[in-house]
Amino acid sequence: MKKRTRIGLAIVCAIPILSPLLFMAGNDYLIQAATRIFIYGILVLSVEMCWGQTGIFTFGQAAFFGVGGYFAGFLATHENITDIGLILLVAVAVGILAGTLVALFLFSGKRVGELYVALVTLVISFVCEKLANSWTFVGSGNGIPGIPYPTIFGKTLSSSIGLFFVAFGIFALAMMMCIGIIQSQFGLAINAVRDDEERAEFFGYNRSALQIAIFIFSAVLASVGGALFALSEGFISPSSLGLALSTSTVLWVVLGGKGTFFGPLIALALLESVNVEMRSILPSLWQILIGVMLLLTMIFLPKGLTSLGEKSRNNRKNREQSKKS
Amino acid sequence: MKLLEVVGISKKFGNLAALTDVSIHVDANEIVGLIGPNGSGKSTLLHSICGRTIADGGSVLLNGKELVTTNPMVRAKSGMAIKFQLARIYVEKTVRENLMISLQAKDGMWSLLRSGTSKKFMPRIEELIVEFQLVDYADTEAKYLSHGQQQWLEIAMAMASNPSILLLDEPTAGMSPKERADTAKLIKSASAKCGVLIVEHDLDFIKNLCDRITVLHHGSVAASGTPKEIEDDPKVKEVYLTRV
Repeated sequence: MKKRTRIGLAIVCAIPILSPLLFMAGNDYLIQAATRIFIYGILVLSVEMCWGQTGIFTFGQAAFFGVGGYFAGFLATHENITDIGLILLVAVAVGILAGTLVALFLFSGKRVGELYVALVTLVISFVCEKLANSWTFVGSGNGIPGIPYPTIFGKTLSSSIGLFFVAFGIFALAMMMCIGIIQSQFGLAINAVRDDEERAEFFGYNRSALQIAIFIFSAVLASVGGALFALSEGFISPSSLGLALSTSTVLWVVLGGKGTFFGPLIALALLESVNVEMRSILPSLWQILIGVMLLLTMIFLPKGLTSLGEKSRNNRKNREQSKKS
Repeated sequence: MKLLEVVGISKKFGNLAALTDVSIHVDANEIVGLIGPNGSGKSTLLHSICGRTIADGGSVLLNGKELVTTNPMVRAKSGMAIKFQLARIYVEKTVRENLMISLQAKDGMWSLLRSGTSKKFMPRIEELIVEFQLVDYADTEAKYLSHGQQQWLEIAMAMASNPSILLLDEPTAGMSPKERADTAKLIKSASAKCGVLIVEHDLDFIKNLCDRITVLHHGSVAASGTPKEIEDDPKVKEVYLTRV
């Protein structure tokens, strides 16, 4: 395991160990915020697997997140199914189904450009949001409110710390799966597709199958994240599958650094931590500030915040190489 | 039986006939050169063979298997490997990782997910690193290699999975004389294991290397024969040698 991965994992593991201290200090709000960060973290992992690791620029990942959330909300409110294990299993099935449909449409034929994939996924997210907004069966603009607390082994998970640990557990599992995939030969194969799709095919890779597999995997991650979101927040609304969340997810990945897991997660944690406060302090300016931050990052650090460390490492390597030669 | 048999290949881009009824063949352990002036159809022919371009008509047979309408993946799995004119390697990956990318390409998805299976490729990677003079750079990212080393790495990647036929598109472009000589040795040693088809501008380079040479002109075969026959052919002198 790489040193960077080890450090990142240590930070992630430290969070749940330290978080109960906040709870003990009576800060329930922070625990809820941390829960939300882990849930969005699963969504970030799904975009990173697609875009950062395989080169599939998915701009509508919120659609899968929202669909997972709506199914969870529907099961809990209409069918009285609150068992978290069962709901998450349904979210996995929904993710596989939705991911397969979109992936087959996008990748089963000839190679398609990054922009084409971005536009198609963006449109899917847009259509899903519009559909949820106008469909009374799923609550139209109000979404599904009043989703009951989930149950685990028959016991109701009504405390925020309980939901926090569930969210962390699922996030940690998703993280381990992603790291496992990336460090396997499969990871090298999807990186080869990301860096030069055509070349990979000339080596004999089934480019289409690899892209479809990763797209489905990331749709499952997003769907599970959405189901967790609905259960922990107690509601799901059209904004959870729309453009705003899709764009935010891309923003976190760009700011943190595409191609790494921890950069986007750090960007998510930083922005979400200050998001609510900044919205109340600078209601109209905050979104503009985020836009400016994004622009500056793309101009000066096109590989995101994590490339700061990479730049110094590259400079050192360059010096070593020039000494060698 | 011929290893690679290209029969009556034709390709048009709009009204322009890039290839008209071109036929060539490569036998096992043979090095065949493909030369011609710019625009003669060399690259189109190579791309039609490897699957980057689908020919309008004709046949591409490898070990008797028809591949003319198949995609590059199928051709690669059938034993075809290519080195492009501009080295297309994975510059952010190390030399070892590049070789691994090539070696594992034909593995199934489940096999790729089990990291342990990479061990079976290690001896082959070490062998290639030594053969292609990349020992000191095995764990160096490919972007730090010199131009010549990057070209060798791509040939090593093409040779990694023991192909039946190796297609080389101007393998010595931009190389120093020493690197060209070393590349010629590498190609010679590759031909002990497979057939080789080289597209090259430089007749001096391939006349000492190839068993046979085919000259293309205006998308058709102008001449074909041994390097000596080609050098002495007045038609070749007319269409090609005077234009280099």
